[in-house]
Amino acid sequence: MTQLRHHLGLFAWQMVIVLGVLTFWQWAFDLHEHMPLLIPDLFDPYFVSKPSEIFDQFLVLSCFKSKLGAWNLAVPGAFTGCLTKFDNNLWFATWVTLKNTFFGFITGVSSGFVLGLVLGKSRRLGEILQPSITAVNSIPRIALAPIIVLAFGIGDTSKVVTSWICVVFLVFYNVFAGARTVDEGFINAARLLGATEWQITRTVIIPSSMAWLFASLTPAISFALIGVIVGEFIGAEHGIGRLIIESEARGEASGMMVAVVILMVIGVILSAMIWRLQAYLLRWQVQTRRGGE
Amino acid sequence: MIRIEVQHLSRLFPFQGATIQAVSDVSFAIEKGEFVALLGPSGCGKSTVLNMIATLLRPSSGEIYIDGARSRPDKVHADVGYVFQRDTLFPWRTVADNVGYGLELQGIKGSEKADRVATCLAKAGLEDFGGAYPSALSGGMRQRAALMRTLVVEPQILLMDEPFGALDTHTKIDMHEVLLNIWDREQQTVLFVTHDLAEALTLADRIILLSARPGRVKESFEVGFPRPRDAVALRETPQYAELFSRVWHSLGQEFLKGRTQ
Repeated sequence: MTQLRHHLGLFAWQMVIVLGVLTFWQWAFDLHEHMPLLIPDLFDPYFVSKPSEIFDQFLVLSCFKSKLGAWNLAVPGAFTGCLTKFDNNLWFATWVTLKNTFFGFITGVSSGFVLGLVLGKSRRLGEILQPSITAVNSIPRIALAPIIVLAFGIGDTSKVVTSWICVVFLVFYNVFAGARTVDEGFINAARLLGATEWQITRTVIIPSSMAWLFASLTPAISFALIGVIVGEFIGAEHGIGRLIIESEARGEASGMMVAVVILMVIGVILSAMIWRLQAYLLRWQVQTRRGGE
Repeated sequence: MIRIEVQHLSRLFPFQGATIQAVSDVSFAIEKGEFVALLGPSGCGKSTVLNMIATLLRPSSGEIYIDGARSRPDKVHADVGYVFQRDTLFPWRTVADNVGYGLELQGIKGSEKADRVATCLAKAGLEDFGGAYPSALSGGMRQRAALMRTLVVEPQILLMDEPFGALDTHTKIDMHEVLLNIWDREQQTVLFVTHDLAEALTLADRIILLSARPGRVKESFEVGFPRPRDAVALRETPQYAELFSRVWHSLGQEFLKGRTQ
């Protein structure tokens, strides 16, 4: 009962904060002329838009309303007509960005895992490649985005590659560290039970590195999304990043804000999914945190 | 029949630019089915001797024979089982999967695996914990599970490196009872490393006492207490007290020597 009251209390406070921010955002700038010190002109709706405009813009970008403000759903065929005519509508843009994020994430995680495992296991190979890896890793990955777009064109491929390059090093480093720090006791225990080298890799080194891999998945999904958005900034036909650039060119803050809100929602949903997956895969660790010894 | 024989075993370790002799010219033999405790003060090299027999370490000089055959430093003998001081259970496997690990390596699957795992869990009183992860168990339960992971493949030789060293006194005695029960039935050849004299007296047929570093065989004591033994009642007998003080005297000298080093 107290548990429930505790949660309700938290929820109430969270709502107060959200509503407070939205209210300030919506109406506070109207007071700018009266008290310029309290509300600087940084809050000008020209730069940051306001919730009502953002919501209107959302309805337009998602084809629920026409650009003139009429409800498309009320007119037969208007909604589908808008979707086909307006080719970077919010639905399609979201789909394209999500799809490319997904592929960037999957390719980045799998190649980073394999690379980390191979280099982590083979001491010699790891030593030979160490300087190159350090050098490449010190490049801010985002700086490569224009080159990637130049090389792979403005289609989906360049976004997947940008996303991949953001994810792969992160995962690689985690798994590399994991494969190098496998508890010697586990390896000895396996060997003394008669495990062959391959059996040790399969039953000790891989599962023990998995913990490190799973730990890197939450940042990896954020990085994958960042890679795609930056790729879309540089050059793209579709996607949320493209939507932001288009709105910026038109000086439409509301359009950019719609994209940002959608990205926030995508980020929250993907993180929550990864978190659930992680909690399941690392269930043997979760128990440790709950008590154990 | 002699199962384990070590001859003139020595081991040097590099340490901060110098060389330290951990083990010096250790020789002994263990009969089939004998339970031998290797006793000595901390740092005397008793675990080093055990690890050389287990092929975890290479001897600097000397030879090891198992069943009369010279042991190869790179190959684990199929009959040897090893129990670590730390439990080394795989945290990502449930207790049952940990215990079944050795069978899995041998390609034993299905109902045979399940039966052998269940038997082992029952022997260790862990029937209800097969599905739990090691992190959910107490120290004593984990060490019992680790013992069973070693025993499930039915090794004829058991090498044990202070397996109960991290447990409190009462849990330790529980573990002694579990081990004595199993040993009374299966009569493995055991080499049990410990610094705890009471433990050595409770379990072993014979105690080999190592000197302070560098470890040498100082003395050997026959522990003639009748079996099956009661780990609790044994400690109240006058024979136990008599032997305890005799070995303690010798062990104490080494302990003091080790302290001044």
